[in-house]
Amino acid sequence: MAFYAKVAEVTLLYSIFVMGIYLMTGLTGLFSLGQGAFISLGAYTASITYLRFGFPFPLATLLAVLMGVVGGIIVGLPTLKLRRDYFLLVTFGFSEMVRALLLWTAQLTGGALGVAGMPKLVGLPMIAVSMVIIVFLIGNLKGGRFGRNCIAIRDDELAAQSMGVNVYGHKMKVFVLASVICSYGGALYAFNIMFIEPNLFDWLESAKLIVIVFVGGLNSLSGVFLTSILYYTFGEVFRFASVWRDVILALLVIVIVIFRHRGLFGNWELSLRWLGILPSFHTAPRKGKD
Amino acid sequence: MNLNIFFQQLINGISLGGVYALMAVGFGIIFNVLKFSNFSHGGVVAICAYLGYFLATRVAGSLWITLLATTLLGGVVGVLVEKLVFRPIRIKGRPLTYFFVNSITVAMLVQQFFSALWGYDYYPYPEFIKKTALHIGRLVVSKTYLMMLFISALVLLGLTLFLRKTKQGIAIRAASSDIWTPSLMGINTDFIISITFFIAGVLAGITGYFLGMTYTVTPFIGSFILKGIIAAIVGGMGSLTGGGIAGVLLGVVESLLIAELGAAVTPIVIYAGIIILLLVRPQGIAGKLYTIKA
Repeated sequence: MAFYAKVAEVTLLYSIFVMGIYLMTGLTGLFSLGQGAFISLGAYTASITYLRFGFPFPLATLLAVLMGVVGGIIVGLPTLKLRRDYFLLVTFGFSEMVRALLLWTAQLTGGALGVAGMPKLVGLPMIAVSMVIIVFLIGNLKGGRFGRNCIAIRDDELAAQSMGVNVYGHKMKVFVLASVICSYGGALYAFNIMFIEPNLFDWLESAKLIVIVFVGGLNSLSGVFLTSILYYTFGEVFRFASVWRDVILALLVIVIVIFRHRGLFGNWELSLRWLGILPSFHTAPRKGKD
Repeated sequence: MNLNIFFQQLINGISLGGVYALMAVGFGIIFNVLKFSNFSHGGVVAICAYLGYFLATRVAGSLWITLLATTLLGGVVGVLVEKLVFRPIRIKGRPLTYFFVNSITVAMLVQQFFSALWGYDYYPYPEFIKKTALHIGRLVVSKTYLMMLFISALVLLGLTLFLRKTKQGIAIRAASSDIWTPSLMGINTDFIISITFFIAGVLAGITGYFLGMTYTVTPFIGSFILKGIIAAIVGGMGSLTGGGIAGVLLGVVESLLIAELGAAVTPIVIYAGIIILLLVRPQGIAGKLYTIKA
């Protein structure tokens, strides 16, 4: 039973990261290979303030989230006004920079040895509640005006701009929000796994998050969520096959992008309307150019 | 830093910068034609590094034969990647985002494939050139570095000539400014794109071979593409000359910084510099700013 609880914890933790990426890549079309850096930033900020400076856990988590905001603004400010390529490339550089920074400030961060010794303050209930809140938040964003603007930006930036959407402002908000989700998830990660090191979240980890979003389907939040749950549960249960797992995932993505570019789940959304209490995250399927 | 070390690092930096320049040009030439950031270039570099290792240890023992074979195979790999991964979505007229996704996925696929197949082991290339060095005054120049510099310069010169003088080269330059119009002028754009990927693959082959020779072959060798990408940004995306110059500059700056500040701080300084550069002068050295056109 403890094993399954552990699997559930890890799966949900990673799904929090995937949700952050869904907001950014799935809805707004921003590609970042640096979200791993925000996860690391959050994890390190929370654990160092907790261990070295004796801050209580809620305050440490708050600081981790603030770190995500600051990092998001620093990276977003120069790059989001430019073509998407610059954003992609600079976030890639940013993740390498954070890694180098964590290794260099070994006095504070423990360098390549990582940080250990955090107590296990985050259990399954807390992760699950965070997950539900984040999914609810993103689902509402997606259905609302803000999310529709984001989808417009993703599909055609110029057209969105000429219809009066503040492209730069939307991108900035989305990027900072996604960074906050990632750094918050990082803080949870640090206090759940109880060990962090600089190489834990490299560009590959960020690339995997993007790829999961595309397998699930850009227009399907439920689909992305299910894909992420499936992928990470599979990885934890079949540890022996985990080296080939990413090879299979990568091949699957190429096939999906070529033959079924809307993702496995297309426009499908899980609807809870029949319960009568919860809203549905479904937006009307769009016609025409994708 | 005394003058002697300065010149020493300058020479090392220029040789390393030559490899960065090759990467930046290989990355930039595809950006020019298809207008997307081709991360799979790092994957092709990694494949070539392994190919070069395999050829050098199992098949032939000569530097020039294995280098040439790796280079040509690199071109073939480049074309294969294009035909299998990018051509299907290009034919269907998908937006650029899907090109991004596929190129990132290819880079991921290559790295994970080699990790899964051979683990995170290090594979050193055999020593072709005895670790001798030329002494010029008080400077010591490694023969490997000298050869790398020479070949990089030769290849970039050859590429420039190709792009300026031959029919295909001119077609590539035409396709760089607009991919659709040349197809109206009777140019086979599909073929031109294949040639572009072949050239990029050739450059990746040389890069992979050199990187494998100077460092060792690991699944992570494709991450070196980051240096080429940085050079491409600094040079102004899409400007091949700018990318080449920026590559050499980056190599020199990196070597000097490592000598002055140490290897740990250097990446931090360089990446922070890139963010500041984009704030001040987003169009890079060459001053070509790509914006989204309708």
